[in-house]
Amino acid sequence: MKSDTPLLEVKDLDVRFAVRGGDLTALRGISFSLDKGERLGLVGESGAGKSVAAFSILNLIARPGYIAGGQILFEGKDLAAMSERELRKIRGNRIAMIFQDPMMTLNPVLSIGTQMVEAIKAHRRVSTKAARDIALSKLRKVQIPSPEKRLDQYPHELSGGMRQRVIIAIALLLDPEIIVADEPTTALDVTIQAEIMALLLDLCEQENVALMLITHDLGVVSQVTQRMLVMYSGRIIEQGPTREIINDAQHPYTQGLINALPQMGEPGARLFQIPGSMPSLKNVPTGCPFHPRCDFATDQCRKTMPEYVRSGNVDVACYEVSNLIEQEKNMQEAGS
Amino acid sequence: MTSPLVEIRGLEKRFDLSGSLLEQITFKGGRFQRKQEAVHAINGVDLQVHKGEALCVVGESGCGKSTIARTVMGLLSPSAGEVHYGDQRIDNLKGRDVLPYRRKMQMIFQNPYASLNPRMTIQQTLEEPIHFHRPDLARNEVRGKVQEVMESVGIDPDWGSRFGHEFSGGQRQRIAIARALAVDPEFIVADEPISALDVSIQAQVLNLLMEAQETRNLTYLFITHDLAVVEHFGTRVAVMYLGRVCELAETKTLFAEPRHPYTQALLSAIPRLEDARPNYIRLQGEVPTPVNLPSGCVFHGRCPYANERCRQEIPQMIATDGGAQVACHAVEEGRL
Repeated sequence: MKSDTPLLEVKDLDVRFAVRGGDLTALRGISFSLDKGERLGLVGESGAGKSVAAFSILNLIARPGYIAGGQILFEGKDLAAMSERELRKIRGNRIAMIFQDPMMTLNPVLSIGTQMVEAIKAHRRVSTKAARDIALSKLRKVQIPSPEKRLDQYPHELSGGMRQRVIIAIALLLDPEIIVADEPTTALDVTIQAEIMALLLDLCEQENVALMLITHDLGVVSQVTQRMLVMYSGRIIEQGPTREIINDAQHPYTQGLINALPQMGEPGARLFQIPGSMPSLKNVPTGCPFHPRCDFATDQCRKTMPEYVRSGNVDVACYEVSNLIEQEKNMQEAGS
Repeated sequence: MTSPLVEIRGLEKRFDLSGSLLEQITFKGGRFQRKQEAVHAINGVDLQVHKGEALCVVGESGCGKSTIARTVMGLLSPSAGEVHYGDQRIDNLKGRDVLPYRRKMQMIFQNPYASLNPRMTIQQTLEEPIHFHRPDLARNEVRGKVQEVMESVGIDPDWGSRFGHEFSGGQRQRIAIARALAVDPEFIVADEPISALDVSIQAQVLNLLMEAQETRNLTYLFITHDLAVVEHFGTRVAVMYLGRVCELAETKTLFAEPRHPYTQALLSAIPRLEDARPNYIRLQGEVPTPVNLPSGCVFHGRCPYANERCRQEIPQMIATDGGAQVACHAVEEGRL
């Protein structure tokens, strides 16, 4: 039986940064949910708020940032309202995180084994011996050659791909329900990236772990996730099943992102380009934040932020799309 | 067949790791020994860049692609081999003799945050190369030239009094391109010019580079790790692995029918939008260190088709029926 409450539900989340001269809104009205074992992709360009969204799920927003409103419900409990003490029981234990740069995540002066044992002992009362055994089994799981040897090695002795495998092993240590991966392969070469992504996908399927994958690479999202969110300037502008969005994106920004990819254009022909660039948080345009770059922008777009409308299984925040849906409906009614 | 614009012959580049003579000497087993180590960044590369084409050099980190770019530009001097521009050998030129080639050859770097002098205004940045290379021009002629290049890259000439930090990444890269174009070069070396930029901005800059190629009749040596960009932009492609070219072909041929096992693996690792799951050729192991190069074919340790001959003998470039050039024993023997 499928339970009605999703594993993670984010409702109307607002995150702001208190800076001189007033607050900057980094996330505005973010709502999405993640079911057990589901893989969700978060796509957007730099400054769209993807990483802030990922960090806020673990309530890891550091000052001057703060959660200004909304809820982050993990198994029904609001992480946004939890004390540090309670949060610590969830972070790394129930929800694990993988970051972009493995060298920044691993402590350079501790051996891999020490770091893994430390993480286990922080959450479980087990002997060092038992903890080492768990560590070893997870290193095997991420297919690291000669795992016994790795436990006594230091991060600098491993290659980039190997380090990211260790990070994944650490994320798996306590059998979490959710893994949040923030650009886990951006720092790696293409062939290594393919390996790490396939590994992450296999592990999530085997262990039935939910994955939230933050990336700017639409190809990766297409290969790994089942549902995706597209973010722009702190808002979710489109969300729904990955295949549906990739094959038939509704929002002009998502369409632009896909069409701007060199693999979409005829070789040698001019690429589709979205004019301008993403606005800075200091002066987000009124109305729909995408309107200055949008071909379909009307006065309505310039004034008010569009609500979500449903097209197929996809939720889109765009007046152009909602008008089209309206027209279609009218035509059908006129026809019948 | 016309003679190539730029030609690299038997290029080798080693970076010494062993330091001064005293650091090289060790005392072992009762005798002094001298030990020298070097990174073998390029190991015998021959390339020809023809007028009007975009030759792309691809490969993963550490394959020597950036070293090629820098050696061609004369920023590094080759350990062995020659670089020719037209009918003149240029790698051994000294002092004033280099200057005309410095004007004809310009470079665009990866990181527009690092390649613009933060203490110079855009006007100064763009005027400097013109003053240097064209001392005959009068002040207003220089200004006119600057205005012309700024317009051609889509930067408002009125912004000349601003500093680099006032621009976004995409705009900075436009300015870096304008600086390269300011002295009317014939040949441009672009080292990962769009890797640091967001997806929608990448398309803008790529379009700009293609426009400039058309209107100014430029020739490019384009260094990148992104194969999707190569497929779109390149006339011909050279795939590099551990300091050697393993395959060289027309872009269309290479993507339609990759011959070298490494090229095949590299192409399969591109995350494609139409894939619903990662779908790639798994390579064994990792890239070996360029300090101790493997014997024979540098790729043999990871190649599924390697045999005894591959471990012993370095493969030479051979022409295939498809018009590509491949350095692989398996292809030569018809095993692949």
